[in-house]
Amino acid sequence: MFRTMTFPKKGVILTLLLIVMLLAMIACGGAAAPAQEAAAPSEPEAAVQEEAPAAEAEEVEEVAAEVQEIDLTFWTFVDAHADFFLKQAERFNAAHPEVVIKLEPTVIDYQDMHDKLLIALQSGTGAPDLVDIEIAKFGTFMRGDIQLHDLTPLIERSGKDLVIERMAPYQGGGQQYGVDYHLGALVMYYNKELLDQAGVDVDSIVTWDDYIEAGKKVKEETGAWMATIETTDKWSVSPLMQENGGGVYDKDGNLILDSPANAEALQLLSDMFHVHQILTVAPGGYHHSPEYYAMMNDGDKVASVWMPQWFMIRFKEFMPDLKGKMVVRPLPAFEEGGMISTMGGGTGTAITKQIDPEKLDAAMEFLEFAKLTREAQVLIWTDLGFDPYRLDVYDDTELNNPDEYFSNEPVMQTIKGMLDRLTPEYNGPRYPEAQQQIREKIAYGLFEENKPPADLLSTAQGEIEAMQ
Amino acid sequence: MTKTSVPFFHRPKVVPFVFLTPFLIIFLVFRVWAVIQAVVLSFQKVQGVGSTEWTGVGNYQFLFNDPTFYKALFNTAYYTTGTLILLIIIPLTLAALLYSGLVKKAGVFRTVLFLPVLTSLVVVGVVFSLILSPGGLLNSWLGLVGIPAQRWLETADLAIPAMLIIATWRWTGLNMIYFTSGLANISRDLYDAAAIDGASGLQRFFYITVPLLRPIIIFVMTLTLIGGFQLFVEPFILWSGGASPGQGGLSIVVFLYRTAFTSFNLGYASTIGVVLALIIMVLSLVQLRLFGFFKKEA
Repeated sequence: MFRTMTFPKKGVILTLLLIVMLLAMIACGGAAAPAQEAAAPSEPEAAVQEEAPAAEAEEVEEVAAEVQEIDLTFWTFVDAHADFFLKQAERFNAAHPEVVIKLEPTVIDYQDMHDKLLIALQSGTGAPDLVDIEIAKFGTFMRGDIQLHDLTPLIERSGKDLVIERMAPYQGGGQQYGVDYHLGALVMYYNKELLDQAGVDVDSIVTWDDYIEAGKKVKEETGAWMATIETTDKWSVSPLMQENGGGVYDKDGNLILDSPANAEALQLLSDMFHVHQILTVAPGGYHHSPEYYAMMNDGDKVASVWMPQWFMIRFKEFMPDLKGKMVVRPLPAFEEGGMISTMGGGTGTAITKQIDPEKLDAAMEFLEFAKLTREAQVLIWTDLGFDPYRLDVYDDTELNNPDEYFSNEPVMQTIKGMLDRLTPEYNGPRYPEAQQQIREKIAYGLFEENKPPADLLSTAQGEIEAMQ
Repeated sequence: MTKTSVPFFHRPKVVPFVFLTPFLIIFLVFRVWAVIQAVVLSFQKVQGVGSTEWTGVGNYQFLFNDPTFYKALFNTAYYTTGTLILLIIIPLTLAALLYSGLVKKAGVFRTVLFLPVLTSLVVVGVVFSLILSPGGLLNSWLGLVGIPAQRWLETADLAIPAMLIIATWRWTGLNMIYFTSGLANISRDLYDAAAIDGASGLQRFFYITVPLLRPIIIFVMTLTLIGGFQLFVEPFILWSGGASPGQGGLSIVVFLYRTAFTSFNLGYASTIGVVLALIIMVLSLVQLRLFGFFKKEA
């Protein structure tokens, strides 16, 4: 039939075919994540009636019969976070029958997700309603016209019960833009069995000087290293810098990389590594490498490591042989009575300005329900294994349970005991670049190249200040 | 058929353009217009959404004084030089060896050596980060010949060598195919004549094969040069986000990517891109000139 058609008809059909093909190519080449969601069945918004204003309160019964359906898209880079939010959506819907939240999470690889989010916000289209932004990437989204909604009202409602410092990394210009999953308290993980073998009492380690003495004894008696350090990631240098009152930014938003507090902390690390020789480089260069897990898991090569609380999850998952041998303690202090912990890592959930304005209130209410209420914070420990940052939660039975892995001690109570001696971490516009400096040059330069801390820090400060 | 009855789009002079239109549209939009935009952006300072200001040559001046750029340039040049040496000599020798008839079932070897070219770069990165790990395959092999285990992915000085190992594994097969096709074009009579005159195998190789392969060698070198300077995926995958130890693996494109996506400075990133394109262009022209590409064959 096609063959016998006269040419004009063929021409029209061919041209249409070509156009369809072109459109298909362009559509398929577009952003992957939204396309994936388009494939999933999407509910038509049945927003029959807006929330009744207070003046019409007498018609409450009539209004309650209308159910408002809200579709919320959510991007994250951690499967566990997506699962957590889905569960919270279910609980929210059960608690609020007049609203049905339909959450559509998409898990995208860490680098990719942040890049796509940036492009979507820059081009004004394609961004999700809710999104997880990791702390080291948050600064990038605080530049120029901030494309995230102000979440300050949420904090005002729940604020008095929160460890308010935990909100600091996700603030800009005095407004709150993100809500974290956890506190991220820094702790020291000791292999108590190994310490006992060396004749060291873990609770006698109060200051870094005590730690050094203990380290020497461990090395002498058992030949093991006191701890491993990272040369390609920040977890060895950043916590000590912060604990000593330094860090990347101060509370006023000044870049303080070259501060004396930082230099002092780095000098301590340098001495522990080069002079006292109680530290060794983690195999693979960082604490998330399989070789490191294997080395630590052997139980006789390394006595301790300092990492954030969420590293507990890695212990349980990747170092099973250490079950029952590990204990969690605060960091040694720089001086008696000084700070014994700080914060590390984190991911802030934010609401983008590309959300349909009619959904904003519901989304904010949902976010508060999912992360800031007492019940939510208990779930953060029981479901995600993270340390909550609501003070009243630490009295809950769930947070008083002994942890079999960590020598049957109630680990969360140990953390509770640190909460008032915990230095906060401040964010700022060049925080992401500072992280790169710390990972690539400061950590590496300090341990592998034995460079003087002051030089490393002033170079880093200078390069970042010079940035456009 | 008389001229007046042929519809406009069917005329012989018009039809080619009709068929070219789809390609032209895509090319103009995604290539030409994108490049123009990038050049325009390179003269602007962007600090986030909605803050774009004209800065003239400010970005270029800053780049000129940026130590991180020079580190990236050094790393990239080091890497490209390495690939130019390794990825010409090894494939050429292998191609000649397989073509010479000294090896039985040469086709099987050619296929096996070509397979790495077909693998996804991301998969290669993931697998090689295991192979190059301290307890990985490569260190085991080195141990067999008495060489101590190297910390390939943790040491600044070994970052580029590690990537050269991956590049050699991956691209040898492709360059070998190019050289093989070039070898097929050399007449057997030349070899026979040389053999009669008493030339040894090696002499035939250096005085006949290599000179007559010159066009192919120039071609492969140009491709290798361009590809080398565009190094991105390997450092990006081997070290999360391209954060290599001591910046030993920082390539120009990784630097560009960071400026765009971490610093959100699209203007400066475009500047880096424009400068990179100019560098590649100049180096390619120099290389072509050096190898007599522009001279007429005698």
